[in-house]
Amino acid sequence: MAINFQQVREKIHQIGAGAAQRQKLLEERRADARALLRVHADAQDALQERVDAAREVDAGLRCATPLNEKLDSSIPPPTLPEQATLIAADGSQITPDRHEQIQFGLVNVGGIIMRLNSGESTLIHTDSVLMYDLELFRNGVPLSDGMVALERDLQERSQLAELAKDYDAPVVTFTDGPIELWGAREGEEAKAYYESLEKYKGVLSRLQSRGVITAGYVDKPASDLVVRLLEVVKAAPEDMQDIRNYHPLLGVTDRWLFGDKKEPLLEPGHRSAVFSIQSKSEKNYPGVLALHFFYLNAGGEEKNPHIARVEIPRWVVDDPAMLGMLHAVLVDQCRIMGAKPYPYLLHRAHETAVVSNEEKYQVEQMLVQELRRNGADVEDGSYKQSAKDLSGRTGYKP
Amino acid sequence: MTQIEIGRLLRAGTTGFITGCSVSQFEAPSFGALVRAPLGGQHQVYGLIYDIHIDDDGLVRQLVTADNVSAEVMRDNRERRIVPVEMSVLAVGYEQDGRIYHLLPPRPPLSLDVIYLCDDKDIARFTEKFGYFRHILNSKETPVGELVAAHIQQASLAHDKESEKWKDAATREVITLLRDDYPTLMSVLGALSDVSG
Repeated sequence: MAINFQQVREKIHQIGAGAAQRQKLLEERRADARALLRVHADAQDALQERVDAAREVDAGLRCATPLNEKLDSSIPPPTLPEQATLIAADGSQITPDRHEQIQFGLVNVGGIIMRLNSGESTLIHTDSVLMYDLELFRNGVPLSDGMVALERDLQERSQLAELAKDYDAPVVTFTDGPIELWGAREGEEAKAYYESLEKYKGVLSRLQSRGVITAGYVDKPASDLVVRLLEVVKAAPEDMQDIRNYHPLLGVTDRWLFGDKKEPLLEPGHRSAVFSIQSKSEKNYPGVLALHFFYLNAGGEEKNPHIARVEIPRWVVDDPAMLGMLHAVLVDQCRIMGAKPYPYLLHRAHETAVVSNEEKYQVEQMLVQELRRNGADVEDGSYKQSAKDLSGRTGYKP
Repeated sequence: MTQIEIGRLLRAGTTGFITGCSVSQFEAPSFGALVRAPLGGQHQVYGLIYDIHIDDDGLVRQLVTADNVSAEVMRDNRERRIVPVEMSVLAVGYEQDGRIYHLLPPRPPLSLDVIYLCDDKDIARFTEKFGYFRHILNSKETPVGELVAAHIQQASLAHDKESEKWKDAATREVITLLRDDYPTLMSVLGALSDVSG
C-alpha cells in the first residue's frame, strides 16, 4: 500500500470536524466582503488613494485598482459584430529531461482562425520549434520547466501577431491564461525572463499598432485581486503598517464575489467593471500596454454562474468599441461550448497544440536515428527512468 | 475505371474490413454500396458497405448541449478535426488478373490502402452472377434483409437497360438461396418490397 491510510484518515476526520466552524467564518467574511464592495462601489478615487498608500508600505502589493466603472457593475455584452476575424493560440511543450535517452525541448503552438458569419471552415496553423544542444541553454543556464513555459507563452502571442497581420480589422485574438508574462524575475533565470519580456512587449506593440484586440482568458481564476483591494480598503491605519500580512477576508474569492451561486453579482454573459492590476510588474507594461482585467460570467444560466478573468492591455480598455467587441465575442465563444462554457477556439487551439506522449516518443526516435546515422554517440536513458517505466504494481505517478 | 476514393483502410480480416474517412469526404459512400480495395498488380478485393459509423468525442458531446451551432463551427468539426467516419465492409469477392471470383479474398487489404467506390461498369461486371449472395445471406453481423434490398436497388441501376431483368433474377436467386430459411426470406422479401414500392 503506497499511502498510510490510517494516518490520512485521522487527518480527514479532523478536517471534517472543523468544517462547520470554517464555513461559519467564511460566511461572515463573505458578508463583510459583499458589504465593502457595495459601500465603496462608487468611490474610485478614494480606493485609488488607499491603494497608493498601501503600495508605499508594500511595494509588492498585488490587487485590483478601479478605473471609472462602479465596482459592483454588471455590464451586458453588446451585440456580436456581423463580421470579425477571431484568432486563438495555445501552446504545449516538451521540457528537456536528463533521464531520457536524449535531451531536447520542443515548443508547439497551435493557432486557429475563424471568420464570423463567413460560413467558412477554420484555418489552422501549427509551429513546432525543436530545441537541441546549445539551444537548451539561456545565458549558460539549462532550460528549466519555467523557461520553456516562458518561451511557449512568447510564441503563443507571437503567433497571434503573425496570423493577425493578414486580416483586416476587426481582429480579436486571445490565448489561455494571463496576458502578463510569467517567469522567474530573480536568480539565474532572471536575465532570460527580461529578454523574453522585451520581445513580448514588442509583440504586444505590434498588435496594438495594427489595431488588433488581444486578451488572455483565465478560466476558474485563483487570484483574488478585487478581494485584496477590499482588504486594503478595510485596513485601519495600524493594519496598513503590516498590510502584506493583513488578510481579514482570507478564503473569500473573487469568483465567489462576482459569481455567488445564490446571488451572482454578474448576470449571465455580463462583465464586471474593468480594473487595472496593481503589482510589482506594473512598470514592465507602460502606457498602452498596461495590464487590466474584468470578470466575465461565462455561464448561460441564471443560477449557474461561471466566472472567468479576462486580461487586456490598456489600448483595448481605452476603446469602448474594442472592449465591447471582445466581450461579445467571448460570450459567444463560450456559448458554443454549451453546458461547460469556455471559448471554443481556445479549446480548438489546445487540441491543435497538445503534444502526446506518442508524438514525443516519435520525435525522440527521429532525433536518435538521425544522430546515429551521422556518427554521433547517443546515450541510454537513466536506469531510474527505466525502472519507473517498468509495468507492475507501482505507486501513483503524477 | 472511375476513381472515387472514399477512404483508407483502418483494419481488416478475411471476411471484411473497416475503412475510415474524414467527414468532409463523406458524400459518396452509402449503405449497400459496392467498393473495391486494390491490392496491387491485378488484384483487388470487393465488398459491400453494411454499416456506417460515426463516433462522437468529448467536444462533440459538449457542443450538442449548446443552443445552436454556427456554420463555421460545424465545418471546423467536420473538416478540421480528426473524427473519422468508419465504414464496415463485408468482403464478397475479389479480382485476380482480370477475372472476378465470388470467393473470400486470399488476403485482406492492408492498413491505409485506398478504398474506392465501384462505378457502374465495375458493379455490372461484378454482379453478372450471384455467387456473392451467399456471403451476404450467411453473414451474422449484417442486417441481411436491408443490405440485400439496398444492394439490389443500387446494383440494378448499373445494369442500365437490363435493370429490371437483373433485379428479377437477383430476387429469384435470393428466394432460391433462402428457401430453407423462412424467417430470413420474409425479412429480405419485406425489405425488397419496400424498395420496389
